[in-house]
Formats: sequence, C-alpha cells, structure tokens
Amino acid sequence: MSRIELKDLRKEFGSVVAVKDLNLTIEDGEFIVLVGPSGCGKTTTLRMIAGFEDPTAGEIKLDGSIVNDLEPRDRDLGMVFQSHALFPHKNVADNIVFGLRMKNVGKEEQLQKLQEVSDLVRISHLLTKMPAQCSGGESQRIALARTLVTEPSNFLLDEPLSSLDAKLRRELRAECDRLHAELQKTFVYVTHDQEEAMTLADRIVVMDQGVIVQMGSPIDIYSDPVSYFVADFFGNPAMNLIPGEFVQNGSGIEFKSDQFNVPLNEKFSSVPIGSGTFGIRPENVKVVSSSNGSDRKIGLVEPLGKDTLLYFETDSDRPFVAVVDGTENHTAGSPVELNFPQENIFLFDSNGDRIRA
Amino acid sequence: MAMTMSQKRSTFSVFRYFVLTIWLLIVAFPMFWMVGTSFKPDKEWFAWPPVYITENATMRNYLIVWANINEYTKADGAHIDEKTGELSQYTQSLQRPWVALRNSTIIAGIATTFAVLFGGVLAYGVSRHNIISEGKMFQLLMLRMVPPIVLIAPISLWYRQIGLLDTITGLVLLYFLTSLPYAVWMCKSFIDEVPREMEQAAEILGASRWRTIWEIVLPLVRSGLVATFLFILILTWSEYLLALLLSKAEVLTLPVELSKYQGSTEGRVYGRQAALSVGITIPLIFVGLIIRKHLARGFSFGMVRR
Repeated sequence: MSRIELKDLRKEFGSVVAVKDLNLTIEDGEFIVLVGPSGCGKTTTLRMIAGFEDPTAGEIKLDGSIVNDLEPRDRDLGMVFQSHALFPHKNVADNIVFGLRMKNVGKEEQLQKLQEVSDLVRISHLLTKMPAQCSGGESQRIALARTLVTEPSNFLLDEPLSSLDAKLRRELRAECDRLHAELQKTFVYVTHDQEEAMTLADRIVVMDQGVIVQMGSPIDIYSDPVSYFVADFFGNPAMNLIPGEFVQNGSGIEFKSDQFNVPLNEKFSSVPIGSGTFGIRPENVKVVSSSNGSDRKIGLVEPLGKDTLLYFETDSDRPFVAVVDGTENHTAGSPVELNFPQENIFLFDSNGDRIRA
Repeated sequence: MAMTMSQKRSTFSVFRYFVLTIWLLIVAFPMFWMVGTSFKPDKEWFAWPPVYITENATMRNYLIVWANINEYTKADGAHIDEKTGELSQYTQSLQRPWVALRNSTIIAGIATTFAVLFGGVLAYGVSRHNIISEGKMFQLLMLRMVPPIVLIAPISLWYRQIGLLDTITGLVLLYFLTSLPYAVWMCKSFIDEVPREMEQAAEILGASRWRTIWEIVLPLVRSGLVATFLFILILTWSEYLLALLLSKAEVLTLPVELSKYQGSTEGRVYGRQAALSVGITIPLIFVGLIIRKHLARGFSFGMVRR
C-alpha cells in the first residue's frame, strides 16, 4: 500500500511562485501524469515528492506520514531522470546494481536481481558495455532497470522520454505501460507531451502556472475541458479556437467572428453577451461540398492515409482545421460549407473559462 | 582547378603541423639550451658563435652542484678561508642543493596537496550549494592579481611577530593560501561538469552524501583534480619572490638556491645553474609522467557526456 498525498504544497524560488498551494492525492498503483507547458510547476512538484526541493509550505505524505524532512533515499522512491543520469564511469551492470549495493544486498542476490530486471526491460545483451556505448533508447531502459531493481513502492519519472526520437518514444511509452501493468506500483510521470499523457495516464493532472487546472481520466480531459487552456493543450490536431463575440440574435444567441457566424441552439441561451471564444475539435467539423457558391475555400489538403486534414485560412496565425475520412476526395481551392454539430461545440468566456450550457 | 574536400583537409593539416612544429621549437628551445649548457665546460657558456651541441661534454657542472665534488676551487670564484683552508661561509651557502630540494619538496608538496584538498571541498560547496557567491568568487581570483611584492612587507613583519619568518610552516601556509583561489576555480569548473542529476540519481538509489561524492563525483573529477594538482605544484615549486624574502638562511628553496649561483669574479656561473635547473625540472617531469593519463583529459576540461 502506498499513497502519496500533497497538501497545500507550495514552492517559491525568490519572488517566483513555482507551485501554488497544490492539493493532490495519488492512490496506490495509480499511473498519474502531471502535464503542462514548461514552467508550469510539474517538475518542481515531482522534485518535491522526491525530496530534492524543500517545499516552502505544505505537506508531503507517503502512506500517511509526513516526509517533508526525510532524505530522498529514505522515501522508498525510484526516480528516472530526463537525462538518464547513468554513471558514465561504471558499466551497465554496475549501474544497475548500484542501488542494491547501497542497500547492502548480498552479491548473489544482486546478480539474480540484475538478471531478472535486465530480462524485464530487455537489456541483457548490454550488461558489460559502458553507458557511452549505448544509444538513447538503451540508456533510458538502463535507467529504468536501475530504478526497478531496488523495488521502490513509487516511481517518479521526469520527462523520461523527451530526449528520444518519435519512434523510440512510442516504443518506450508502450514499455512504461507494460511495466506499470506488470508491477502494479504507483507511477508519477511528468511530461509536456499531451500525447504521452493521454496514452499512459490513469489520471491526468493538468498544471499551469503552478496550479492544477484540471484533473481526470484522459477521456474526461479530452471531452470535457474546463478551460481554453486545457482545450487547447489536448488533442492533435489541436481544437479550433476562434475568438469572437456572443451576440443576441432574435430570441437566440449567435457566435460572430469575422469569418464564422454560428447560431447557438436554446441550450446555450444563458451564454453571457460579450467577447469569448468558440471551439470545436477538427474531427467534429462536418465538411459538405458546396454547390451554391460558398466563399469558404479549402486552403490546403493534407492526406494522412486513414484521415485527411483540411486547412482553412483565418485572420489569426492558426489555421482552422477539419479532419475528414481519408476516402473523401477534396482538392485545395474547392468551395465547401462547414457545419458545427451543437453537441460538439465548446464555448469559453473572455477569461478563458468554459461556459457550460 | 578547385581543390577537393580531402585535398583541402590535408592542406590544412600540413599547415597545422607546420605551425605546431614552430611552436614546439619555440617552447622546447630553452629546455634544450638548459640541458645543453649543463654539459658544457666553462669556456663554452659564453662562446660566440654559440655552441649548440658541445663536443667537450662534461659532468663537471653536475658533480660540483649535486655531489659537492670539490673541484670548486679558487679559479671558480670560491673564497677559501686562508687560515683554515676551508671554503668560506659564503661559498658553503652556495652548496646546499639537496637541502633546497628537500625543502622545496616538502613545501610545494604539502602546500599543493592542501590547496587541492581544500580547494576541491570549497569548489564542491560553491558548485552545489553556492556557499560563495559569484561576485565573491571573482574577488577570490582577484586576490591572485595582487602583485606579491605589495604583500611582502606586511607579511614579513607579521611573520616575524608570530615566529613564522624563515620557517617551512610559514612558506607552506603562504603558498597554500595564494594557490587556493586557483584550486577553487579549477576544481569548480570540473565539478560543474558533473550533472547534479547524476548525484541525485545516486542519492535516491540509497547512497549517502559521502558515498555519492566518493563513488560518483570523485571518479568523474579525478582527472581534473590531478591537472589542478600539477598546475599548482608547478607554481609553488618555482615560486621565487616570497621564498627569497620570507626565508633568510634556514629555509632555502630550489629557485632561491638557483639565484645564488653567481661568482663574484666571473658573474653568473651558467653551467652550474643549468645543472641545478635540470635537477629542479626532473621531479616535475617525473610527476607529469606518473599522472600523464589524467592530464589530457584534465586539461581539456570536461569528460562527462551529456
């Protein structure tokens, strides 16, 4: 049983508040992903859990007892760093058994565990090499093995994959998932990559400017973002977000911008009049070939195989994107009409908060 | 016709070796001259045209300087006490190279060891915990910019008061203090190269702070420490001014001993000086050879792959 509780956790660096009164409970065996743009406080939070940063205020509890003043090594944690942090002067096997040696585990047991763990992460063939001779992906596997072998109750992973290329990243992402399923331990994973967060997490914690913006399962976060920030952060291609105004139009409300006028149905009747943002995910945009001379023309067609991305120019620097089935036939410059199903519309007020129907 | 890439590269390579060869000649010539002169008989020291490689090689200079073989007669400018027939006090003081060697070894060895030891510990604190602010670090280095001659008067007065004048302890202390800034700066640059995350990885795997330093940091900065050691050893080994002015008779070091090789009648006795110089240089070369595998790494600053 291992449960991490953060209570009113705060960290200030001089006058900068990196983490602002954060409250979070991580359950035993949970795979939790802290995600957000750089500087949002996610890594600082992780480093406070690890014990490398002292909180300015607040409590960190592991299994119910406060560990604020405990040294990192006494917290029953394993950590994987972005830089791998392998010891360059020790060979792979010595790197892996380092933690066991520090815990005075006997030689025989060391060897046995070394065998087990290197089979688990598939690096048995690397044991006699030096870290400098290993590739980035191999290094990260070694770093994982080095942490796994000490069998901590909690794993902290600080952007472990961000220094790898896309293919390796996908491969090791699957590896992380597999390890979590096999070990049933608590994983706290920090990343700025929304895709990693979506694919790995049991629960995503979205952070921005030192506070938790939203918490929930990947699908919750995706389908029900609480703010412009979250809506913008998750999804690839990103949600179309169009700045404009909500105006009264007869009995109903209408969204108006220079290029889009969208009447909103009665469930949005309580939307406050004034400026705001209209959002819709690219896959929810319905693209209909126009016969009556619509002035909306496809800017760019990007076939991806299964899907095709259609880009439309807008006044802002981000284009409007629609995803259509790869079998549909579209050419750049042809006129189309765009329809927005009311149930897929997201509205945000001028502060970026979600306007709920 | 345009040159191909490989032609260009080999042209550049030839040029580079040409420049390096010239540089080597410039740097090596004084060494060559020192060794050459040490084997020359008296008449060839000043000869014109200069004698580059003597045909009358002799060990006489070495024997006189290092073995105290008493061919050192009146003709060489020695004063013979007319009553006793022994060499006068003045000339005897010329002939203590082994004492100087012993003193230099003790003084430079201890001062350098302590400087690197303390410098390394301080540098770790600066690198990891900012125990000395950046501004203070520069002030520390500025201390070295002060011309030693400025400090001599107050230090010698003070040393006289506390009884450190003309003692080995006095020189060790002073050498230690004056080389400490270099040691801190050099060691810091090596410790900075070791990523903090590497230590944290060790820590979270269960290593104590001392264990982390011993097993992770130290092996990674060893080459740097060795380079620092040699650098400071060379400085303290060849220091002249402080040694001259803070010692009178007792604590004679090699550079001071070297300066004493001049006769009153024929001026500087270059052959003897050269023979002594060779003796002064050999220990340094010896130390350099012992630690040479560290030097290339150490002096190229930074060995950790990021």
